Amino acid sequence: MDKKRIWEAVRPYVMILPAMTGIVLFVLYPVAYLIKLSFYKYNLMNKDKSKFIGTDNYTQIFSREDFYTALLNTVVYTIGVVVLTLVLSLIIAVWLNKRKRFNAIVQAGIFTPHIISIVSVALVWMWLMEPNHGLLNFLLKTFGLPGSTWLQNSSTAMISIIIVSVWQNIGYYTLIIVAALQSIPPSIYEAAALDNASKFQVFRKITLPLISPQLFFILIIMTIGSFKVFDTVKIMTGGGPNGATTTLVYYIYEFRTNSIGYASATGVVLMAIIALLTVVYFRVLSKKVHYQ
Amino acid sequence: MASIEFVNVTQSFDKNVIIKDLNLKIEDGKFTVLVGPSGCGKTTLLRMIAGLDPQTSGSVLINGKDVTRIPPGQRGVAMVFQNYAIYPTMSVRENIEFGLKNNKVPKDERKRLVESISETVGLAGYLDRKPSTLSGGQRQRIALARAMVKKPSVFLMDEPLSNLDAKLRVQMRIELIEMHKKLGTTFVYVTHDQVEAMSMADTIVLMNQGQIQQEAAPEVIYRQPNNLFAAQFIGVPPMNIAELGIDNVMFGFRPESGVLSTEPLATHFQVPGTIVTREMLGSETIYQVKSEEQAYMIKCTEDRFVVDQEVYLGVEAGNLFFFGADENRIDREDGRFSSYLEALGGRSKVLVMRGQANG
Amino acid sequence: MSFEWKYVRAPLSFLLKAIVLMIFIFPFLWMISTSLQTFQETLTFPPTWIPSIPQWVNFSTAMNAGPFLTYARNSIIVTFSVILIQVLVMIPAAYAFAKYRFAGKEILFSFVLLAFMIPGQVTFIPVYLMLADWGLINSLLPQILPFMANAFGIFLLRQYFMQIPQEIIESARLDNASEFKIIWKIMVPMSMPALATIALFSFVSHWNDYFWPLVMTDSAAVRPLTMGIAMLRETEGISNWHIIMAGNVVLVIPILIVYLFASKQIVKAFVYSGIK
Ligand SMILES: Nc1ncnc2c1ncn2[C@@H]1O[C@H](COP(=O)(O)OP(=O)(O)OP(=O)(O)O)[C@@H](O)[C@H]1O
Ligand SMILES: [Mg+2]
Repeated sequence: MDKKRIWEAVRPYVMILPAMTGIVLFVLYPVAYLIKLSFYKYNLMNKDKSKFIGTDNYTQIFSREDFYTALLNTVVYTIGVVVLTLVLSLIIAVWLNKRKRFNAIVQAGIFTPHIISIVSVALVWMWLMEPNHGLLNFLLKTFGLPGSTWLQNSSTAMISIIIVSVWQNIGYYTLIIVAALQSIPPSIYEAAALDNASKFQVFRKITLPLISPQLFFILIIMTIGSFKVFDTVKIMTGGGPNGATTTLVYYIYEFRTNSIGYASATGVVLMAIIALLTVVYFRVLSKKVHYQ
Repeated sequence: MASIEFVNVTQSFDKNVIIKDLNLKIEDGKFTVLVGPSGCGKTTLLRMIAGLDPQTSGSVLINGKDVTRIPPGQRGVAMVFQNYAIYPTMSVRENIEFGLKNNKVPKDERKRLVESISETVGLAGYLDRKPSTLSGGQRQRIALARAMVKKPSVFLMDEPLSNLDAKLRVQMRIELIEMHKKLGTTFVYVTHDQVEAMSMADTIVLMNQGQIQQEAAPEVIYRQPNNLFAAQFIGVPPMNIAELGIDNVMFGFRPESGVLSTEPLATHFQVPGTIVTREMLGSETIYQVKSEEQAYMIKCTEDRFVVDQEVYLGVEAGNLFFFGADENRIDREDGRFSSYLEALGGRSKVLVMRGQANG
Repeated sequence: MSFEWKYVRAPLSFLLKAIVLMIFIFPFLWMISTSLQTFQETLTFPPTWIPSIPQWVNFSTAMNAGPFLTYARNSIIVTFSVILIQVLVMIPAAYAFAKYRFAGKEILFSFVLLAFMIPGQVTFIPVYLMLADWGLINSLLPQILPFMANAFGIFLLRQYFMQIPQEIIESARLDNASEFKIIWKIMVPMSMPALATIALFSFVSHWNDYFWPLVMTDSAAVRPLTMGIAMLRETEGISNWHIIMAGNVVLVIPILIVYLFASKQIVKAFVYSGIK
């Protein structure tokens, strides 16, 4: 009988144990380990030769130009992706908002790239952006425009990568905005129609405020997501040309074998940035709860 | 079959004491109805019997045995919930069978039981349907069948009819009474509908704010309410209550005990007044009569008066109740009763005279 | 003017929508077309839209460029093990968080939410070192174990469990069902839509994953399809687009098939993950 009581008391812990093990072992402990590593000069071959060097890695980070380049690249990438994606997906969502069969098909089509591996997406776009035989330059030339060097020029590589990311993710954000739009009760629009409001006024004064919580939410997850960009860079440019597309994660990746301590310190910096963005996100979320 | 007993039971949730030192004995084989206003602790009481929320202190006995440490599934009780709580992914048969399976009843036996029960509750043709394809009344029957099939010694029901429409509710009420007769087990039935309580119960347990106000047969509660609360909770419209003007004593009478007349009456209590509202309910009519200081509800079998008419309202001495300052009813045998009765009679004469002078 | 506009408007809007649709679908059609062209055809100007003779041989060339059977096997094993383990780990955890009261529940659950927010791009170095210490780098486990606790899944399933009325569970307890039986026979069947959503989401993200295997593997024997395809450019030459596209088709097809059959579910899964 008492055994049963004890079992009932520990049962919840037993049930969450596997999940907590996973979380502690593969997320929380590694974070602590990462922070520890960031204070070391780590020797991969011979761990005993690893040396505690205090904040040297951090001093180095903030004095190296290539770090600032990577940070700047990431910020440029993030701003580009966020602005373009937000504007375009908002336009498309409003446009395809009506519950019609064809609209649903177009939405599903736009969404398709999002579930395709970034590897495939990157390769297909590299082929499209190929300067000599690629389709994009062919189209440009057909319309009498000069072709572009796309990924192979440091001045156009970043924008090319931004285009690919925007193309891949627009569908996803469109779906979220459409869901938000469709959750607005039609009676609000009917009331506005009775008040003789123009379409633009309705959008600005009613639609936009009502979906602003979701837009803000999208803004934050997009920003966090963009700060982690890596795959497109790795496959399409390898950070080049001339470091023009080296982003933070790619920067860490490049140091991951030879300067583990330094890479870890950069990882901590990245984590701090993401944490900051997350705090902002929760602030916004709690406000969103207030609105309702 | 089993009796249920609460001994000094206290129940609290997060330091809120809901029920304090409650003692109650529910007799074996009786149809007991727990009734009281919303939030008074009826469900809480029922759940303690089932073992779903064990009491904070005190003990619950089933058949004289302390069941505190026995898990819900092994207490021999079955419960029907207000929202039926049917397993939506199981067919009707699987729903009814689930408890039997868990109790390792052999397959043939199970099949026999399920079929005979479904016959009883009228679900025979629906055994392989999903609950979502059935009506509210049919789902209610699944819940009943699921409870009955286990042959429980105690049947607990928490407002099982409140989700049904009025007509079906009356029909199910009769079916439940018949079911109780047939099974002969202990039924504990929770409702906040006093009509349901009056029509179904062998014994009514009337509760308010976690305390038992009265525990008696329906007619006893109606004719001899313990206190003001019981007097006003049972009966539609509730008992008329007014101040006597002495010792903070209140007097009262049932709406159907009032007599209306255009002429002064010979009744013990009498007051002139005006009819303010008239509600015609078919076989009877309910008038609201406003006197100088108080409004009274009167139920008549005849429909003879109109709104704004001036009338005399009278009540015979045998139909009057008195409640002391502690809100408990003053018994007829009590010495104070006759003096209060006299005082009320005296006041009536003054009121009638004054009414005539004004008129 | 408005009179004429009325007649132009609908077809124009249709045309515009078709063009937008094409922008997102055409690259994949172009991928398929290229995968069936000869090397010469990929170089022509104007481009070859439809290959004269479909070059099925491109597929075998691509697949022979590396141990693709191994890659495919690895992808399948990793994806399905991850889904299976996640589901097994997630169900009891979500149930405990949804339906039991226990000390420290809030803090422990906040760990789940925290895990949800810390990306692999931050933790991959220490995780790699740890798994290397355990001698697991030459197995598929580094691609499976770190995902055993799906924080998003636990969160979603817990929400779902919380919506299931307590009375149903209590009925089952009165029916003398064990907690295991309640979970297995009642909670799981009732939350199938949520589980399907989570599983689909997992399938798509792990089949497609490139970053994690890239940083966790040192040898071809444990690499998945995504890495094999990405490496075609090195093994087959940068300009052999017909071969690279053929490999690409192989990678995309399973996802497209799943999408065709479960597009509604997948769309829902992704929208959920965005809103919650
Ligand atoms: N699990 C619980 N946690 C906290 N408070 C509770 C809990 N269950 C019941 N209560 C409180 O106990 C009191 C009595 O509740 P109970 O459900 O027994 O009322 P009831 O008589 O069944 O009312 P109703 O007719 O509305 O069903 C209420 O004030 C309720 O808020
Ligand atoms: Mg209740």
